[in-house]
Amino acid sequence: MTSTAYQTSPIPAAAGIGLRFVHHEVVTATRLAVPWFEVHAENYFGHGKLRHILESVRRDYPLSLHGVGLSLGSADGLDRQHLERLSALARAIEPGLISEHLSWSVTGGQYLADLLPLPMTEEALDLVCRHVQQVQDALQRPILIENPSTYLQLAHSTLPEWVFLSELAARTGCGILCDVNNIFVSASNHGWDPRQYLAGLPRAAIGEFHLAGHAERTLADGSLVRIDDHGSRVAPAVWALYEQALERFGPRPTLIEWDSAIPEFDVLLDEAALAARRLHASERASHVHAA
Amino acid sequence: MSTLLEWQRDFARALLGGAPAAAGAGLDITRDPAVRLAIYRNNCLSNLVRALTLNFPAVRHLVGSEFFAAAAQEFISQYPPASACLDDYGQALALFLTHFPPADSLSYLPDVARLEWAVSRALHAPRAAGLEVSRLAALEPQAMAEVRFVPQPAISLLRLDTPADAIWRAVLDQDDAAMAGLDLTDGPVHVLIERSQDGVEVRRLTRAAWRLMQRLCAGEPLHEVLASRGELAGDQINAWLADHLAHARFIDIVSLTGERST
Repeated sequence: MTSTAYQTSPIPAAAGIGLRFVHHEVVTATRLAVPWFEVHAENYFGHGKLRHILESVRRDYPLSLHGVGLSLGSADGLDRQHLERLSALARAIEPGLISEHLSWSVTGGQYLADLLPLPMTEEALDLVCRHVQQVQDALQRPILIENPSTYLQLAHSTLPEWVFLSELAARTGCGILCDVNNIFVSASNHGWDPRQYLAGLPRAAIGEFHLAGHAERTLADGSLVRIDDHGSRVAPAVWALYEQALERFGPRPTLIEWDSAIPEFDVLLDEAALAARRLHASERASHVHAA
Repeated sequence: MSTLLEWQRDFARALLGGAPAAAGAGLDITRDPAVRLAIYRNNCLSNLVRALTLNFPAVRHLVGSEFFAAAAQEFISQYPPASACLDDYGQALALFLTHFPPADSLSYLPDVARLEWAVSRALHAPRAAGLEVSRLAALEPQAMAEVRFVPQPAISLLRLDTPADAIWRAVLDQDDAAMAGLDLTDGPVHVLIERSQDGVEVRRLTRAAWRLMQRLCAGEPLHEVLASRGELAGDQINAWLADHLAHARFIDIVSLTGERST
């Protein structure tokens, strides 16, 4: 093994922030009190200024790499070059966590630039299990898989999404990145019970929570669709669901994400403080239970 | 029901295809397939348009965001990205703009796109340590003549028909006076694009100096380059080579050891 430039820093069960380009300057110029950061891995595959910024952030903070383009659900197979670039970045940065999505985005050599929904079938489950194994073998560590926001359901799906994720974790040893906003969005879009979703996930596999804002859109027929646009504050109903998730799973690293109409960094600090308050309450409660 | 592979191919066709009423037929979507597919289509397109905006900020500024979004969507349908690494997306935009009728009156636009692609490459390329001059000094005169240079990966050399470098700079500096003072017939220009400590530099070279650098970067041995150096005098050559070495534009030398380059 090569020597490491960093202290090993696991991601703490605290409220971190998704670091985006517009906040590079404020974060590198002022060493703000943020317990950890997460970045989209693909934004740092290059070797220029962005990589240098990431390295300097990594020297000061625990860092999580969140992939958005590996396309674990592609029936064509994984893009080896993409996996190699992710592995190289992970070797350079030594992140505390690495995560990806339960989705697909590449078919026939085309990248479709969104986290597309998979049919929840045994065929898809076998495929995603193989790919997660392949990634974990390449990275030499377990990864976390995030539940997606979805806007449609497929009639040939045979498994509830939470069963699919639980099976994936059981078969591959991967963890689950429980995106609370995504559960709320998908449950609302498809008429699922979000409590049932949480109850269906295995406690020991939950490695991280995500929180973000979403948008509401009314379709021509008057029905409401919630869109996971990461463009506003976390909705009150999502905070409530987060509290239920903490109650069920206990404190875990929690991330505030904001990707469209990104506000001043102070707003993200505010949101992180709201998550931190709930995390602390959850820690106190778990101490009481343990006593 | 089709296998997952066939279903994903069909999904992609429905996502990118332009027949909204029929879109989603056969995909087994439980309700209002066209409307729900459109949500994914919008996400996909806006993510790709955003990526092109990041890679081509001056092109977007020159044509305005509405024109840029329309051109980008047409570009995306003709040249979809192959990978999720969107820093690598857009190489064909200059070629596309050359054949994009709404941009016909903007003769300089493809050149600005070519320049921005080179700038984007320079931004993301690795920067290696420069060649130690002592390694050159240690060479025998004969070996020195036969040596080939390995350039920094971030370096590009472009010949542009229009003064696209001056347009690019004026746009990004929001310098209206410089923009107004531009003579669009002031071309062709020869530029070198490279990464410096602070960012990306775009430098104009004389045609002769550009040509020599292009040949050196293409791996021609020094003696062949110097044998046909055109109008450059000997002392100019020395200054020219010293400047490249001082800017760490070469990272290595390869001796020919009998093999000849063409």
